[in-house]
Amino acid sequence: MSKFIVRRLLSIIPTLFVIVTLSFFLIRLAPGGPFSREKKIPQEVLQNILKKYNMDQPLINQYFKYMGDILRFDLGPSYTKKDHTVNELIGTAFPVSLHLGAMALGVALFLGISVGIISALNQNKWPDYAAMSVAVLGISIPLFVIGPLLMLVFALKLKWLPTSGWIGSRAGWATVILPTMTLMFPYFAYIARLSRGSIIEVARSDYIRTARAKGLKESVVIWKHILKGALLPVVTYLGPAFSGIVIGSVVVEQIFVVPGIGRIFVQSALNRDYTVIMGDVIVYSIILISANFLVDVLYSLLDPRISYK
Amino acid sequence: MPVLNKKGDDAVNEFNQYVKPVSLWADAWKRLRKNRMAVIGMWVVGVYLFITFGAGLLPFYSYTEQELLHANLPPSFKPAGSVAIVKLENRRVELANAIATNSRDDLKRDLERVNNEIDQIKFEISRDPIHNRVHILGTDSLGRDMLARTIYGGQISLLIGIVGTLTAGLIGIVLGALGGYLGGWLDNIISRFVDIMYSLPYMLVVIIIMAMFSDASNTTVVGIPLNILVLFFAIALVSWLTMSRIVRGQVISLKNSEFVEAARSMGAGSGRIIFKHLLPNTVGIIIVYSTLQFPSFIMSESFLSFLGLGVSAPYASWGTLVSEGVQGMQLYPWLLIVPATAMTLFLFAINFLGDGLRDALDPQSKNRN
Repeated sequence: MSKFIVRRLLSIIPTLFVIVTLSFFLIRLAPGGPFSREKKIPQEVLQNILKKYNMDQPLINQYFKYMGDILRFDLGPSYTKKDHTVNELIGTAFPVSLHLGAMALGVALFLGISVGIISALNQNKWPDYAAMSVAVLGISIPLFVIGPLLMLVFALKLKWLPTSGWIGSRAGWATVILPTMTLMFPYFAYIARLSRGSIIEVARSDYIRTARAKGLKESVVIWKHILKGALLPVVTYLGPAFSGIVIGSVVVEQIFVVPGIGRIFVQSALNRDYTVIMGDVIVYSIILISANFLVDVLYSLLDPRISYK
Repeated sequence: MPVLNKKGDDAVNEFNQYVKPVSLWADAWKRLRKNRMAVIGMWVVGVYLFITFGAGLLPFYSYTEQELLHANLPPSFKPAGSVAIVKLENRRVELANAIATNSRDDLKRDLERVNNEIDQIKFEISRDPIHNRVHILGTDSLGRDMLARTIYGGQISLLIGIVGTLTAGLIGIVLGALGGYLGGWLDNIISRFVDIMYSLPYMLVVIIIMAMFSDASNTTVVGIPLNILVLFFAIALVSWLTMSRIVRGQVISLKNSEFVEAARSMGAGSGRIIFKHLLPNTVGIIIVYSTLQFPSFIMSESFLSFLGLGVSAPYASWGTLVSEGVQGMQLYPWLLIVPATAMTLFLFAINFLGDGLRDALDPQSKNRN
């Protein structure tokens, strides 16, 4: 087990290396740059700017310099937001995204599993049908349709919630509700379907019949025997759900003007702010890769049949 | 009748009863037809394909023609001219009230403009046939017909879904089958490559690629705007990974079976075995997976277009229509609701169709109902 963990941890390094290298050259080889504006800058000024940021040197030299910098956790200066380093930009934005993502995942898990249990216990009765219809909706409607629709209904028509912003703004904590609801919806729907299916399957298995035959209380059978076995598929789904939420947060932050790294990412990609894009890509990659790793470890802890050598 | 005395070529079950032989397809079709949601899904998908790609032959308005007098008209079955007059007269009352009660003199110019527009439409309404148009789903901020725009947006969205599915199919099947059947170093290279591509945060890479080419919408290659081509390419780049894994696994599990051995003993080469014997046995799973993958391409495209990184004006897709709709949704909610509903309905339908196909083509449920 510990050997597996060490090997997986070590395999993160080459993956990150490939990602950083690939994105670096992808970004640099494309036409346009952070200083190509519609208004032309005099050639000499441009040369000076490029020199300041070491961009007049051959690409390969820039690449090695950049790699050296990120090994010292220095992501460089921002090219378009003056007075800010990438470390500062990401440092202020990251907690916001983390907060949003963690809440979405938490709510999706809690609501999804609860609805799954209710559906499974009322199989083929009206609560089941109602819950599963909502779940199908959640799976087929894209985030960027749910978000604006929720905003239209709850913020613009009913005026219950603010349309945009984040905790620091005037509306305070109420700003959190709509982005979280939007972001969690597809994953809530999938988790509800998944846990319903697997609870129904486990409930039919022999060891549950044995547990009932022993005369255990129904509540003990449900909570201790059925749920423990039935939640494994949900744990496997945590990996995809997590990366889905990370990518989805890009669009949700855009809709609700949440000052997180997703918004920075899109802005910097459009502005060709090389260092900010690279920094964002590195942060996202580390999150995604380590999440997959954690899920693998968690899975092996929960399922005694799985052992990694 | 003695059990051993089986009737020649006819299919006989374990109780020696005659059963009508059914092919995989006939059997799957029979089961698919029994699944009501899947049949509805199939019809909806069919109607969408027919309308979007037959749009040129059907009597829809042009999706590019602008008529600023008809901007932001609500959905209605009445002629556009009279809808516009009603809308402008409401606006006139609003403006007059605002000027009278709040002494907003700055609005007087607006009021004057509205009056002029009303006069212009009233003058033209019996002369210009453009005012007799009926916009059943309303118009957008430039007075373009929303129905036509939604249909046209569907063209690009569906096309991206189709191109993605086809490239995923072609590359994935060929590489998966070759790697799975031949094994060895070729399989190693393909599998490692797939593994590495899998561990990349794909959507981030696509966002970067699209952002890099977002200026390129004016350049065209063979009549197609460059950034749409890049979008096709970016989606095709990663779309085949899962397909190749699925086909590879399927081929590996089949390649040592008797019928392959029989084919080999009769002198069939690798190519013939792969394409004539192994692939036909994986077609079911390929079809099921393709239908399930199709909506995910449409989602990716609209996701990017929504962020302003995909299809850009003058071209439109469902994603760009939704994103334009979001901007004016407080006053003109149909701008959001029309494309959002069109897209959701299609995704719904194709999800049900995919689920139905999976149930129908699953060999485990063959001859059971």
